[in-house]
Amino acid sequence: MPAYSLNINNKNYTVEADAEMPLLWVLRDLLDLTGTKYGCGVASCGACTVIIDDNAVFACRRTVGNCVNKKIITIEGLSEDGSHPVQKAWQQAAVPQCGYCQPGQMMSAAALLIKNKRPSEPRDQ
Amino acid sequence: MKKEKIDRRNFIKLSSLATGSLAIGFMVPGLKALAIPVTECEFFQPNAYLKIDKKGKVTVYVAKQESGQGVDTALPMIVAEEMDVDFRNVRSEIAPYGTMKAGEHDTGGSQSVMTMYASLRNAGAVAKTMLVAAAAEIWKTDVKNCAADNGEVVNTINMQRIKYGDLVCRAALLPLPKTVSLKNPKDFKLIGKPEKRSNVKDVLTGKAKYGLDIKLDGMLYAVAERCPVLDGTLVSVDDTAARKVPGVIKIVSYTGTGAPMHVRAGVAVIATNTWAAIRAKELLQITWDEGKKNKESTDVLFKTFEAKAGSKPQVPVFNKGDVTKFSGKNEISADYAQPFLAHATIEPMNFVAAAKANSLELWGGLQLPDWAVNTIAEVSGIKKENIKLNLTLMGGAFGRRLHFDFAIEAVKIAQQVDKPVKLMWERTEDILHSMYRPANYHRLTANTAGGKLVSWQHHILGTPVSYMTEGPGSKNFDEVNSADAGFWYDVPNISTGYTPVDININRGWVRSVDICVNTFPIECFIDELAASLKKDPLDFRLSLLENRKDYTFGKEPMLLTQSPARIAGVLKMAADKIGYSNKRKPNHFIGLATHAFIFAKAFAAHAIEIEMLEPWKFTIKRVVAAIDCGLVINPDGLLNQMQGGFVFGLTQALKGEITVKDSRVMQDGFSGYELLRFDEMPPIEILVAASTEEPGGVGEVGVSTVAPALCNALAAAGHRPRTLPIRKAGYSWV
Ligand code: FES
Repeated sequence: MPAYSLNINNKNYTVEADAEMPLLWVLRDLLDLTGTKYGCGVASCGACTVIIDDNAVFACRRTVGNCVNKKIITIEGLSEDGSHPVQKAWQQAAVPQCGYCQPGQMMSAAALLIKNKRPSEPRDQ
Repeated sequence: MKKEKIDRRNFIKLSSLATGSLAIGFMVPGLKALAIPVTECEFFQPNAYLKIDKKGKVTVYVAKQESGQGVDTALPMIVAEEMDVDFRNVRSEIAPYGTMKAGEHDTGGSQSVMTMYASLRNAGAVAKTMLVAAAAEIWKTDVKNCAADNGEVVNTINMQRIKYGDLVCRAALLPLPKTVSLKNPKDFKLIGKPEKRSNVKDVLTGKAKYGLDIKLDGMLYAVAERCPVLDGTLVSVDDTAARKVPGVIKIVSYTGTGAPMHVRAGVAVIATNTWAAIRAKELLQITWDEGKKNKESTDVLFKTFEAKAGSKPQVPVFNKGDVTKFSGKNEISADYAQPFLAHATIEPMNFVAAAKANSLELWGGLQLPDWAVNTIAEVSGIKKENIKLNLTLMGGAFGRRLHFDFAIEAVKIAQQVDKPVKLMWERTEDILHSMYRPANYHRLTANTAGGKLVSWQHHILGTPVSYMTEGPGSKNFDEVNSADAGFWYDVPNISTGYTPVDININRGWVRSVDICVNTFPIECFIDELAASLKKDPLDFRLSLLENRKDYTFGKEPMLLTQSPARIAGVLKMAADKIGYSNKRKPNHFIGLATHAFIFAKAFAAHAIEIEMLEPWKFTIKRVVAAIDCGLVINPDGLLNQMQGGFVFGLTQALKGEITVKDSRVMQDGFSGYELLRFDEMPPIEILVAASTEEPGGVGEVGVSTVAPALCNALAAAGHRPRTLPIRKAGYSWV
């Protein structure tokens, strides 16, 4: 099986995986980064959202072969200690109920803030 | 240093005072032997519900399973209140399975706060009483001169203070108090104030571990292909291609089970990662024997319902007076239909099992773990005492995990491999093979005389859950609730009945709506009657509620109390807040609906204001929900439940529908079974009735009034949908 070196949360990892394996399963099963969630596997729920090179990406639809030489950020790397503005805002508003989809929700909000430091409408995507 | 001995007394004290009828003791983790020096004590644990350490940090063991409903916060608040500790020093942990009384881990029916309230107050008060007694011992004074205050005991004579943490080892030596006094609810400091969820930080940093996040040494990953038709069997499987996928370890098959869970026959791929398992599964060539019941459909089911609706109900439910007196006179009749629904938890079903020859260890979320473990013992041949269950956080449950088909499957798979296995249901499987909320149909018939409603008939036709869990022939019909003596409107002549119809699709309990299927027809029909009598729907409802006293019905231990006054109360609150009696803007319409979830002593109403944009296109402008659930423990949790309940209810009203053809479900993911999206969420305001009644439960009461309130608004605008979801009537919304 081919080996891939990946930069995740500013750390370098080498994984052996089928080129077609979605990043989601690389993160969850091979690297124990289980903060990124599986909800549908077909890009319809967003639970698996991570940030790749400043863009929100569904990890269930991005193959590991397409992740090389890119900067991947997962919920575990959003901040050291839960202090990212999005995490703070989420905490302030006591957002989570079961919380399962929240890593994905926060990663898409964090990606939005990379592109747009001052989004005006709460519903902007 | 004086070495005091701790004897059995200082372990978990088996006292009816502290723990009700706790039958067995359990070891206190951290205390290694039966007799150790008190100076080595690390914490004080007077009962199964809590412990406090030498730093004064309290751990509350939460018996109920967390799936987002907030028991991990509301239940510890009750303990902390009576213990008099700062809530910031309280953390919650899942109570290890087996440390609670039989049934106490069971989580459902909005019962968690209601059923734990007394025990947890008691548990907290016992701890406080013993800590106070320990301080009194140190000060050599009477306990009367000592008072608990926010994690400390105060000597009320000289105002000296000792922290709880400094008292724990001494408190552990004291006998359990025979009686404790509980606070007067008027003096509550914590209960009734909003608290944020206790595990929020773990969730926000991705550290929270749900069942699907469990990882064990050497663990393998499995997915399964299941027989498309319920109770079918496996004929053969060709796994030649599947076995070649790198990472695949083993391919195993297992048989189905029939009642209570109707686990389907399946073929599982076990691999070193989920992706390999999914790929290999797609390559399996399987032949199933679908059995004889493989041509059933919801089309036929609803035609059968309709055909039988005019006959006498098979099972009489509730009778009062004589409805036949009015037959044919000023008669109004209408039929309503609701489809099968899925839970669609965002975390799909999953379970981890590690099997040895004579034992099992299990990890996962289960709402009814006792029943699950008993059944697993039967199915696996492993003695119950040799099954260790580790309960986990659930990414939504909504009743899906009251069922444990996925757990039985995981055990059947794990018993065929020598490593722990995590079974994951893909989303497709999760929607295709759920435990659906029963499809149901209603014929309501009423007569009016002299401007009054004089008779009410309700024929419910449904697909009972009990036919699945207990087998056809069961007489337990959840779907009669609210059409029984609990029917809240005051009508002199009533006759209601139920007709079960079977279909080869699994059914189960779904948040609120399986036992609230009657809210939709009742609350729509009452609006239709108001219209026919040319009365205002609010006034008409109130006239049938306000003169009615509370009444109790049913048999022990299921005595239920209906309170028409509380139903009227929430209805008026919601109507007032939305400005029901104000003049409406052009094309704006308001619909109301109310009901009681009396199992959890909760009453709720929704008022929904819509604007019609085109004849069949609307937008929801405003939603007001009002709830009366007695004393509220955590107002923030209550808001979450009412908001979540609304989302659940609106999904069902607008688009939730499972259809069946050839005994197969036709929806296989979020694209076929759509949930409410962000941009469809209207603003919602939630009103809470001030109440000193004992606390009720709030998880379910806020769901089933959404659809009738919306349909009543649409009816006011011109076209009443009588079948859910309303998109079937041709409505669209923005
Ligand atoms: S898991 Fe649903 S979008 Fe990726």
